[in-house]
Amino acid sequence: MSTAPPGSGDPDTATGSDEPQSPGPDDPGAALGPILVCRRWVDLRPSVDPLTGAVGNDPRTSGASAADDAALEWALQAAEAWGTSVVAVTVGPPGSQAVLRDALAAGAARAIQVDLGSSGDAASVAAEITAVARALTARMVLCGDMGVDRGSGAVPALVAAAMGARQALGLVDLAIDPTEPGVVTGWRRLDGGRRQHLRAQAPFVASVEGVSTRLRRASLVGVLRSGGAPIEVVVPAGPTGGRVPSWMPASTGPGRPRTHVVDGPNPHEPAWRRVILLTGAGTDRPALRVVHAEPVDAAHQLIAALADWGEWE
Amino acid sequence: MTAAGATRTAAEAARAAGTPPGPPTAAPAASAAATGLVPAGDFDAVVVGAGPAGSAAALVLARSGKRVCLLERGPYPGSKNMYGGVVYPRILDGLLLDWWEDAPVQRWVTRRATMTLTDDQALTIDFRTESWGRPPYNGATALRPEFDAWLAAKAVDAGAVLVTSTTATGLLRDRPGGAVTGVSTDRPDGDLRAGIVVACDGVNSFLAKQAGLHGPVDPANYTLGAKEVLAVPARTIEERFGLGPDQGADFEIIGCTGAIPGGGFLYTNRDSLAIGVVLHLPALATAGVRPEELIAGLKAHPAVAPLVAGGELVEYSAHLIPEGGYDMMPALAGAGILVAGDAAAMCLAAGIWLEGVNFAIASGMAAGEAAAAALAAGDVSERGLAGYRRRLQDSFVLQDHRRLRHAPHLLLSERVQQRYPQLACDIVEDLFTVTNPEPKPGMRRLVRRQVTASGVRLRDLAADTWRALRTFG
Repeated sequence: MSTAPPGSGDPDTATGSDEPQSPGPDDPGAALGPILVCRRWVDLRPSVDPLTGAVGNDPRTSGASAADDAALEWALQAAEAWGTSVVAVTVGPPGSQAVLRDALAAGAARAIQVDLGSSGDAASVAAEITAVARALTARMVLCGDMGVDRGSGAVPALVAAAMGARQALGLVDLAIDPTEPGVVTGWRRLDGGRRQHLRAQAPFVASVEGVSTRLRRASLVGVLRSGGAPIEVVVPAGPTGGRVPSWMPASTGPGRPRTHVVDGPNPHEPAWRRVILLTGAGTDRPALRVVHAEPVDAAHQLIAALADWGEWE
Repeated sequence: MTAAGATRTAAEAARAAGTPPGPPTAAPAASAAATGLVPAGDFDAVVVGAGPAGSAAALVLARSGKRVCLLERGPYPGSKNMYGGVVYPRILDGLLLDWWEDAPVQRWVTRRATMTLTDDQALTIDFRTESWGRPPYNGATALRPEFDAWLAAKAVDAGAVLVTSTTATGLLRDRPGGAVTGVSTDRPDGDLRAGIVVACDGVNSFLAKQAGLHGPVDPANYTLGAKEVLAVPARTIEERFGLGPDQGADFEIIGCTGAIPGGGFLYTNRDSLAIGVVLHLPALATAGVRPEELIAGLKAHPAVAPLVAGGELVEYSAHLIPEGGYDMMPALAGAGILVAGDAAAMCLAAGIWLEGVNFAIASGMAAGEAAAAALAAGDVSERGLAGYRRRLQDSFVLQDHRRLRHAPHLLLSERVQQRYPQLACDIVEDLFTVTNPEPKPGMRRLVRRQVTASGVRLRDLAADTWRALRTFG
């Protein structure tokens, strides 16, 4: 269990669309359902050919990232505290079963591989994870914050949206209270070294950074048992796009705004004047504006400001 | 060594009996549990270290129907290995049918050269043959992270249970000072019981030391190998070394380590070169020179620089090598424990013959066979495991080591390291220098002149020649 950072006040409620559902009083673990922990099989030490720049991946150096391991550890702690179980899921080729066996060795009860190959984009992966969560009636999903192979970090948010669950993303610390099953309290980074204090009640999707905790060392018995343990393999019936909701973005790559053609200063102006025009030195700027608003309203105001500046089409 | 046919028959019989592979948590095999002398445990055998020796031992044990656990400290077999040299895999003929078809070989060595260097001279004996480039081959350059993983996978296929990222931290015994009954590991609930422990845990074998099989450690028996891997395009390698697409070159070098006894090497991988030095440990400790400085000097030598030009450094590593040979070997067996590979100092460093992996594999195979026989007989006492040493004595492993036991001392002597390379180069330079209008000197006169100039006494030269003949003859 983590220690709460100093200076934390009342937590914000994590965003989400559904009203929280209370766990059943008699069997809180069963009412909560299993905790689904997502693991991604990725080359942790990819090689780069110094002569050609080609990136090489090797199954032997592949595994789960520190963030995914941290998510597993939090899931195991929560399951122990609330009397439920952990199901590990990965979306990837058969080789990705290695990260599931690590999870089984550490204490996960079940492992599911969605055999999507290695080409699934974030939306497809999120759709498959959501389908697994629904099949298991899992209402709590834990993930690493983003893939170490230039991942976009979009999967947890997409899963949360598809499940209609709250999202608490990019957590650097987590607290699990045994007396409050299905509720996690977390902290995440804000600009200026500040922290946001979040409280999320199931259904939720939480993603954690690798620094948040360290995965326990699996026992030898666990390792030996995991080697022969069954792994459930789910093969998507049709094209992966079939499960992707229409509202999900077609691409979840990093934003690349189009370039603007900016006319240079008049070459006939004196040099000092052209420098001022180019740098904007000495010109009036809009005053810093602090906005206090609800999330949806804040998002609208941000978009409006970007449009004013010509950065939003 | 087991014949290939016999191995296959045993493996097939084991498979037909349905013995391996069993689930890791299944009950111990009857062969171990039913005997009074063999303690009932989790496995019949635990092999510590998934290098060539360990994987070979595990493979043999698994094929003989024993439940064997192969423990590896790294995240995968070969993960922490720095070796980048020549493997002589013919020993695998008795273990794996047509091993060359899927072995992760970089290049088949068809060119073998021995270079003698001075500051600005080089004398090279260069041999090549096309026959080494086709089955059954002779030697191959290989990257051990690939090779070890491949061999360990064979053991797993045969039924061994591979456990990685797990370090054996000590020996379990039936009573204080008694027979070894397993190992403890660095994992929670990490005790692993077994009838036999095969220690293949490398040059600093803590298990063999803990078992009391090693005598006092003498640093003079060890060298430090330091290596750089330089990325060079395959086509460039083939042009520079005069090789075909799958062909490789092996250069062993003497006279490149300054005042420190040792040697150098240069091997061709598929699209990289491995270049490095091997340095006598006590001399390195007192020399005040770092290994990378010596490698830099070697790379800058006029005879070597054109071969490695433009190479991009992609790896630097160093490792201890047990070069003392026969005289530094530990006791090879104790009650419940066998030692193989580098842990048993099986590396052969005899100048013109520098071999290790084949000795490791052979010792691992012998350990596996001896362990399986002892388990079947229900006697894992030191006496019951004496078959291990007999197997090694009957094979090239101890025969070569015993015959060449004086080679390391001879080759690391000051004269062989310093004076003879200079003398040889000077004689050859004198021989091929045309000094017209002076007439050519006679060979005897020329040699006598250079020997005198070198300060080498004829008595020492004769004594060393006699020792070399006795050692290598």
